[in-house]
Amino acid sequence: MILLLRTTVLSAILSATVLTPAVAEEIRTINIVTRPQTSQPSEFQFTQLIAQEWRRLGLDVNVQVMPWEQMIQEIWFSREDWDTTAWQMVGRPERSDPDEIIFNLFHSTTAEQGFNFIGYNNPDYDALVEQQRVTLDPDARRDIVRAAQALLVEDQPNMMLAHPQSTYAYNNTVWDAATVVDQSGIGIRNTWSYLQMEPLGDITDIILNSSDNVTAINPLYISGGTDSWITELVYDRLMRIGPDGLPQAWAAESYEWIDDTTITVTLRDDMMWHDGMPVTPDDVVFSFEAAGSGEAPMYGPFVTGIADMTIDGMDITFTLTEPSAPFLTASLAKINLIPMHIWEPVIAEQLTLETNAESYREDVPIGSGPYRFGSWTLNEEVVLEANAKHWAAPNADRWILRIVPNVEAALGMLRSGEINFLSDFPGDPTVVVAAADENPDLTAVSTVDIGFRYVAFNHRRPPFNDPAFRRALSASVDRRLIVGAAFRGYAVPSNSVVSPALAFWHNETTIEGMEAGVELAQQMLADAGYAVVDGRLNYPDGIAETLGE
Amino acid sequence: MKAITVIGGRLLQTAFVLLAVITILFFMFRLMPGSPLAAYIDPNFTPEQQAELMARFGLDQPLWRQYFIYLGNLLQGDLGESFFYRQPVAERVLALLPNTLILTFSSLILAYVFGVFAGAYLAWKRGSVVEQIGVPLVLTTRAMPEFWLGMLLLAVFSFGMGWFPAGGTRAPGAEYDTMWALYTSADFWWHMTLPVLTLAIYSQGLPLLLMRSNMMDVMREDFVTMARIKGLSTFTVVIRHAARNALLPVMTSFAIAVGYQIQGNVIVETVFSWPGLGRELVRAVQTADYPLAQGAFLMIALVVILMNLVADLLYAALDPRVTHE
Amino acid sequence: MSDALTPVGKSPGRFTRLRRALGSIRLPLHDPLAIIGLAIYAFFIVMAIFAPQIATHDPNEILFTSEFTIAADLRPGVDGYLLGTTTLGRDVFSQIVWGARSALLIGLTAAFMVALIGSVVGVVAGYFGGWVDMILMRLADVAFGIPFLPFVIVLAAFLEPSIWNVVIAMALVLWRDTGRVIRSQTLTLRNRVYVEAARVSGSSDFKIILRHIVPNVLPLSFLYGSIAIGWAILTEASISFLGFGDPDSISWGYMLQDAYASQALSKGSYYWFVPPGILIILIVSAGFFITRGYEQILFPKLDR
Repeated sequence: MILLLRTTVLSAILSATVLTPAVAEEIRTINIVTRPQTSQPSEFQFTQLIAQEWRRLGLDVNVQVMPWEQMIQEIWFSREDWDTTAWQMVGRPERSDPDEIIFNLFHSTTAEQGFNFIGYNNPDYDALVEQQRVTLDPDARRDIVRAAQALLVEDQPNMMLAHPQSTYAYNNTVWDAATVVDQSGIGIRNTWSYLQMEPLGDITDIILNSSDNVTAINPLYISGGTDSWITELVYDRLMRIGPDGLPQAWAAESYEWIDDTTITVTLRDDMMWHDGMPVTPDDVVFSFEAAGSGEAPMYGPFVTGIADMTIDGMDITFTLTEPSAPFLTASLAKINLIPMHIWEPVIAEQLTLETNAESYREDVPIGSGPYRFGSWTLNEEVVLEANAKHWAAPNADRWILRIVPNVEAALGMLRSGEINFLSDFPGDPTVVVAAADENPDLTAVSTVDIGFRYVAFNHRRPPFNDPAFRRALSASVDRRLIVGAAFRGYAVPSNSVVSPALAFWHNETTIEGMEAGVELAQQMLADAGYAVVDGRLNYPDGIAETLGE
Repeated sequence: MKAITVIGGRLLQTAFVLLAVITILFFMFRLMPGSPLAAYIDPNFTPEQQAELMARFGLDQPLWRQYFIYLGNLLQGDLGESFFYRQPVAERVLALLPNTLILTFSSLILAYVFGVFAGAYLAWKRGSVVEQIGVPLVLTTRAMPEFWLGMLLLAVFSFGMGWFPAGGTRAPGAEYDTMWALYTSADFWWHMTLPVLTLAIYSQGLPLLLMRSNMMDVMREDFVTMARIKGLSTFTVVIRHAARNALLPVMTSFAIAVGYQIQGNVIVETVFSWPGLGRELVRAVQTADYPLAQGAFLMIALVVILMNLVADLLYAALDPRVTHE
Repeated sequence: MSDALTPVGKSPGRFTRLRRALGSIRLPLHDPLAIIGLAIYAFFIVMAIFAPQIATHDPNEILFTSEFTIAADLRPGVDGYLLGTTTLGRDVFSQIVWGARSALLIGLTAAFMVALIGSVVGVVAGYFGGWVDMILMRLADVAFGIPFLPFVIVLAAFLEPSIWNVVIAMALVLWRDTGRVIRSQTLTLRNRVYVEAARVSGSSDFKIILRHIVPNVLPLSFLYGSIAIGWAILTEASISFLGFGDPDSISWGYMLQDAYASQALSKGSYYWFVPPGILIILIVSAGFFITRGYEQILFPKLDR
């Protein structure tokens, strides 16, 4: 009796394991993370749209809303635990050189702790971006950068969405429209505008707004977008990114590449600190040393390539560890020139303390820039005054920044004249454009940004490690839908991390002729072996779901 | 002697409440999700730097140790360092407190002055049409979301008519030598009008109804009837006898109202871009800057608790019939 | 304050007790203001229950006018959208109708929690006195020392954004007023002759509380509960405005925040910004009107 029972049980088990065909398994619920609607209405909207489209492919998609600080915790610091997330790269003048983006986002060395948080690993790609870094001939370098973009289209490590158009406005009866500078990839809100804008009448102060507080005015601390507007005006740098997106000499009168790894920069001889002392090459060398001292951790990476600096008269010679094509942009146009007589004792003291130079606060920040520090009323206003002694002295008298967290109030202020330059409008761009249409005193300017929005895939978690799956998901949403529905038309579709605003580097084949649509995506999935069973998408045969809910 | 025991007892109670609130606050913030290291994200943030940072802010210690360190620092007036601003919290919080207090007290004074007179008036007009419309109307003002009211006032009186500025405490670039010069300037008061009005409209309901009901109580009392019989005019009766007695509870409620009002300031501070403590608290919570959030919260709680103490003492002093638990 | 006098020694049946308890609630039907309040509540209850039938669209659905164009910021009446659409392409009217559910859900749950916790604390503290009283009243003191809105903000950051944060915060903190007042009331009641008599005759504490204290305290609980409904809805609106609201549930507070974040006023979209505010005012005022009706019952010397 027992023998019979045992045999029956044994054969049942055997049949279940051996005779049952390998069942393709249902893909788990996919999470997509986004920031809340209050702070990021576009991101919130496109995430909902994308989730909607992915569901039509047979995926169960769950939208998770969390603020930025929590996102950091869940995504940046926990790289194993998320599936997909909305993400953003902000456009900055220094990113006019594509190196920072194409290297840091995708090179395998930055996968554990750096910006390659998606875990992308492609040795061919690594080789390409390493090569462009040391290729000094611009045309040759461009070919490599274009090839890198093409490779990314094939792999689709991320689902690139759009390059937003930043929209800003100003009062054209206060400022001469011909003198307002539209910087490629940045918009009219830039240092060149603040220097060159000419007043037409009695009002000679630039009054602009920011929706976020000013955190710090510290040349050794990258403390936020708004803060950088101020440091760019109060401090000089050896080079500056020009309105065309290319680096040009600024505090440097001229520069010359001696060989692949040596460059000599000649400092202008008419520069003075705001306290009256002259700017010397010793100050310049000190500025770079301070950045690399360890007391300014955010600036450290920009000077690691410098092996040595020597001074001869007004010449400073930099010797690099290896050839670096982006050196001018990434380093010389980035490091603020700071007075040694003020900062040397500060750095020395910070070396002995637990804190670093980011905690140091000057009562009156002393720089050498075209504007000097005037006053700072906490959470309300920062006033800068024109530095008449500067060689590029501004045409305006003062630069007054108002902190206005209420976005509608900012627009109201532009209309009423409380501000005359709308430099921050994180809301619906159609409102600004409509305001300018209705009121001939106002001019609105929209510029395609260097920055971009995308949905990141986590390559550490299947099925996102399968390029075919990624390509299909990416192809399921027409980018024009995203542009229309999430950006009210104020964006351009994107399939590359190099924006069309960087005309020299952008590979237009990435986006031209890009096909998208749910039917196309469904076909791509079917071709790759993914089948829809009972309305749910399943892995190809032989692959099972290994990650739980 | 008895007064001292009463005051002493109240002070002890207040200290206990303060300690309890500090403790609750501390543990809530430490257990919040969201990484404080978010402030430090940049291209090459190494594990060594992370560890250094955690040590510097004491985040690598066990929770209990962190708590006692915090208490110790608190007693010395050290509220820690803000993650984002890299500056001492106490400094920031104290710099922003006056702006919030001014808003609170100005709006409450306005609300209470209006409320007292209007409440007395409605009590006098008892049973009339004025009262029948007035009371529901007052109740409705207390039912409005403050930011809704604020935004509408902003839209109508600032964007629409241009009578008032859209935000801030003063005109752009205006310079004042001292805080006193600022607070007494027409510029400041002009900027303060809309936010104060918004808060006052919302707050006047309480003193109004309280005054009205107290007045109606008092007016029914014997001595008022006696005064009437004696032939004194209604006006004299109302002002001399009734109003004075009805006023005392209203004054006590003022102290408590400060506590209630100040915590709601955050809304108005955001709508009118008023640089106060409430807005700072919200921003600090959003950015997981918990030393700053804790400091701001603590300051607000301190005002609330102090005001409760004042109200308690006032109440005890004014009404000897009250027994203490 | 009228008492429900129970003769000592008699033990009424369950139904009688229930009827008596309900009877002590006594809807304030004599006051016109209170009747208006009740009518408003009835209206919203109907709106909430029949939301799926009344609403014209799914409140969360992103609507399109053509293939790549969403139905954004449409004026009322265009394309059949009764109150127009939001900037993100959703129907305003449907959101308003469904919002009634959130409002009532939050309001009633919060009111219930506040009334329940406050009453239990008040009765227990008032009846038993001694160190139980001391501990509970110290807890109330701490609750009084916590600024409410900042607390909800911190809680919302602490837990996930959800409509229940308001309820939890209110349950933790706002029982304080109810607690104190009901404690006073209990103290008064405890000293009544018939209660003394009941204790002397050997009735258990629990029975005494249930039979003598609770029915007399219930109207106060309802009074504070009615006020709490309004508080909950207003707080939820404030929290949503600051960005800590629940993005998954459509509430009037959420709608106001949405309108604000989309610069509705600058676009002249008053049809979007004004109605949710009006509805909040209506439902919160209704609570106050009913409360005033209760005041008449509890404090009848206040003649109109």
